[in-house]
Amino acid sequence: MTVRFEQSKPQFTGARVERAEDARLLTGRARYLDDLDFPGTLEVAFVRSTHAAAKLVSVHAEAASRMPGVRMVWTAADIHVTLDSPEFGVNQPVLAKDEVRYVGEPVVAIFADSRYAAEDAADTVEVTYADLPPVLHIREALQAETRRVHAERPNVMYHQEYQTDGFEEAFGNALHHLSATFTLHRQTAVPMETRGCMAAPDGATNRLHVYVSHQSPHGFRADLCKFLGVPEHAVRVIVPEVGGAFGIKAMFYPEYVVVALAALRLRRPVKWIADRSECLLADCHARDGIHDVDVAFDGDGRILALRDHLMGDSGAYPAVPFCGSIGETSLAARMLTGPYKIPHLSFTIDCTYSNKAPLGAYRGVWGPPASFVQEGVVDRVARALHKDPVAVRRINLLQPEDFPYRTASGFVYDPGSYAESLETALELVDYDGFRKRQREDRSRGVYRGIGISVFVEPTAMAASEAGDIPYEAATVRMEPTGTVTAALGLGPSGQGHETTMAQLIADELGVDVRDVVVLHGDTDSAPYGGGTGGSRSGTIGGGAALTAGRKLRDKLLALAAHLLEADVADIELKDGAAHVAGVPAQRLTVQQLATAAYTDVNRLPEGMKPGLEVMARYQPTRPITFSNGTHIAVVDVDVATGQIQTVDYVVANDCGVLINPTIVEGQIHGGVAQGIGEALLEELKYDTEGQLTTVSLSDYLLPTTHDIPNIRIRHLVTPSESKGGFKGMGEGSLIAAPAAVVAAVSDALEPFGVMVSSMPVTPDQVLEWIDADQEKKVDSVDSKVYFEN
Amino acid sequence: MGRLKPNSFAYYRPNSVASALQCLATQPDAKILAGGQSLVPAMNFRLSRPACLIDINGIEALAHVEVCADKVVLGALVHHQQIHEHPSIRQHFPVLAEAAGEIGHLAIRNRGTLGGSLVHADPASELPAAMVALRAVMEVAGVDGTRRIPAAEFFVGWMTTALDTGEMLVSVHVPLSSSSVYGFAEFARRPGDFAYVGAFVERAANESGAVTWFGVSDKPEYRPMSALPRDAAARQAEWQQLAAKLEVLDEPRMRRKLAVVLAERAYQKVEEAKIG
Repeated sequence: MTVRFEQSKPQFTGARVERAEDARLLTGRARYLDDLDFPGTLEVAFVRSTHAAAKLVSVHAEAASRMPGVRMVWTAADIHVTLDSPEFGVNQPVLAKDEVRYVGEPVVAIFADSRYAAEDAADTVEVTYADLPPVLHIREALQAETRRVHAERPNVMYHQEYQTDGFEEAFGNALHHLSATFTLHRQTAVPMETRGCMAAPDGATNRLHVYVSHQSPHGFRADLCKFLGVPEHAVRVIVPEVGGAFGIKAMFYPEYVVVALAALRLRRPVKWIADRSECLLADCHARDGIHDVDVAFDGDGRILALRDHLMGDSGAYPAVPFCGSIGETSLAARMLTGPYKIPHLSFTIDCTYSNKAPLGAYRGVWGPPASFVQEGVVDRVARALHKDPVAVRRINLLQPEDFPYRTASGFVYDPGSYAESLETALELVDYDGFRKRQREDRSRGVYRGIGISVFVEPTAMAASEAGDIPYEAATVRMEPTGTVTAALGLGPSGQGHETTMAQLIADELGVDVRDVVVLHGDTDSAPYGGGTGGSRSGTIGGGAALTAGRKLRDKLLALAAHLLEADVADIELKDGAAHVAGVPAQRLTVQQLATAAYTDVNRLPEGMKPGLEVMARYQPTRPITFSNGTHIAVVDVDVATGQIQTVDYVVANDCGVLINPTIVEGQIHGGVAQGIGEALLEELKYDTEGQLTTVSLSDYLLPTTHDIPNIRIRHLVTPSESKGGFKGMGEGSLIAAPAAVVAAVSDALEPFGVMVSSMPVTPDQVLEWIDADQEKKVDSVDSKVYFEN
Repeated sequence: MGRLKPNSFAYYRPNSVASALQCLATQPDAKILAGGQSLVPAMNFRLSRPACLIDINGIEALAHVEVCADKVVLGALVHHQQIHEHPSIRQHFPVLAEAAGEIGHLAIRNRGTLGGSLVHADPASELPAAMVALRAVMEVAGVDGTRRIPAAEFFVGWMTTALDTGEMLVSVHVPLSSSSVYGFAEFARRPGDFAYVGAFVERAANESGAVTWFGVSDKPEYRPMSALPRDAAARQAEWQQLAAKLEVLDEPRMRRKLAVVLAERAYQKVEEAKIG
């Protein structure tokens, strides 16, 4: 039996297989959207609104039409498509019509022989605006008297309330209460490759080929066809190499319609690639929310009831197909109790329109805000009771015997290593030793703090920003030579699916991982699928790869059994050959089997169809599987300058069975880096007129290699019920990291009474807190003297 | 990759200072291109729209570091990374080598030039303040000949220098001083960013000193001190008094506060340097 087990042990799944993608990515051979160039391609420059809220009095683009190299100029008068959001009763014209609602909104499109010519022409367009008072803050938008962003709709575009039975009683009866407001500023994903789209009419098939940097090839095709009013078989969507996506490329944008329609009109290829300013102005934004939170707890630090008024800024339009503010708030509300046994929850959600860019998906979506609140609440309870933050976590954390656990919001958590992940991370970071050293550090004027973030990540959800496709599909074809071509509907942007899916399929078919090629990103070759987003590809896509691989394996085994005249149960498929168990000499290579299946079909068993090609769909049995883990950050705060440096970082991560630990760790590294950016650096700033003032990377601060410490990771494995035992893990690191970093800042500045309540934390804020604390201390000394007198 | 788009311009690549000056005199709305680390981004944003670029990278005479008896002469085309690594600069002006190493990132330092940084005169950059602190002299050439301008008079305001139309900076003369010791400190949100505030502090042999701040106002701010106190509290009071009088660009509270902190940190570097 032992021998049997050893033989069937996966060879590639779980191993640190080198990524198939890396050679081309690291040597500059990858082909991104802007590397594609067809003869006669026109390029597009958009004239974008420079006003946050204004009536369009006039748009004069006649001079632009006469500029050299300009082939066409479009305003709203020329293109009547709107991005409709029927559920909100708000439609966005793809070129602003009558009114502009955010800075960066496309107003005019110029099609020219080169982007330079198009930009020169854009300079000549004259737009006259009549300003309206911009709506820029959520609390302002909530006031009934505030001007409506959309005259026909109230500014509150989404409202939801929820409360557990007995909430008021549980809240009222608690011994202790505290309140806090948590604020998350605006940011965006900033993928290294900016957004873009190229449309080329295909003369041979009379179809439109659309090349786009996107996460969901089929979802994109569906949206584009809907807005263009063309059938789906008339459009082929091709996603080339994608240089980062992070949710913002799961969205559908007005520019795509303009590019596609212009290509159809002009019968020429038309290309638009966003520049970095357009990326910051007109990619969907994220976060921008406020949480007014009340907590009830007992003397041990047990949290009894949690109330949150979640407010989210939707921007000027509900982003298509995923309104970010609703995603940020509604899932945050339901996940607000996180890994803690908090029996009572009450929440109210309000999402409002504003004169800012639309809010969409960014990695983690709801998670960083919810973790910030959830961990911030635990740390506040600990501080209020003069307890160690670890002690309060231990009291509230879900324990192994609690699973499956039904949360106060009605989610059912599958088993995870919640308490174990905390203990593992504490050990990795040497928590007790840290606390001892911290006391000594403080006596030397060194303010070093530690922050803990225990996270739960709902993954592989039936619905996410990647759409409402609860399944994924894979085709697996063994070629006559015995090598394998697979195709999936995923939309990777660096996650390494060509490697991980190949690992799974190779193990099913007993072939070398290098003999499996994985295709994706072309609606002509890939089976219909949801794409990549919501941490679904590993679990759902992996399940599809396994299901299809197993189907093909079964056929290979049956064929081998027939040809080797053995019982199918005795056939082993390994190292590129099928052989009879215990009789290694009695074997056929997969190439021999494949040849038989395709060309020597008379040898096939009765009833077996020729060929070795299968298609399978996989839908997990659970609507969600929850992965988990604990992040601990250590930061130094320079109390003279306010500078914050992350100096140590540990992660205990449980995403079920690992397909490729190196890739999992890469995902964690990236998420932690983005989390440090979210906590300390990144902020899209609008001024009082609604101008975005952070339109280059010298103003929008991304973390650099200097800002990221070495990250130590330990893996825990609690398999899920999904095929393969996988759980998603694409977002957990960004969900957990910001909360850990800001908690560490709060801990470092505990002697000054600081508890961070907004992100990002900036040096000037730190100095203000310290000044305020010192003034307070001076005041209290004064009053004490007065009292003694 | 998304790219930013300058408008069209004429391009010249002279191989001598004389022909560069000729070009500058005859081409309307011309700009000199050296390392391009500030000019090119500004052009890509179309914030700067020169009709003509005069690329001086072919003028070898501008790329040298020369050690003389009483000074070191740095050509305008010397790159930041060269300043950071050059043995003579490390020997004679360790503070200049250190400050040059704080400019941007390696790729920027490998292209960015001394002349470009000084002429661009961004109030948050290290090199203009370093030259003021070191009492360097700018050698400027025009069609009518050359003239020399002390650094303190060269920087006249926000990204503005004493260069006249048709003139170009050719070299910087940094006087050798055996008696002064310098320290440098700066604060930036991320390493490689423009400094939010920075300071050079000098202690001379006779206990006098000076502080030169950058990033606080529209240009480097040089403040001589007849006595640089050894006593920490007295020194702190001195920094505070000087910082309070600065005409701060914006965020005055934060900038003044950091001016004090960084002057003291630069002073501590002086102390370390003396021990070292």
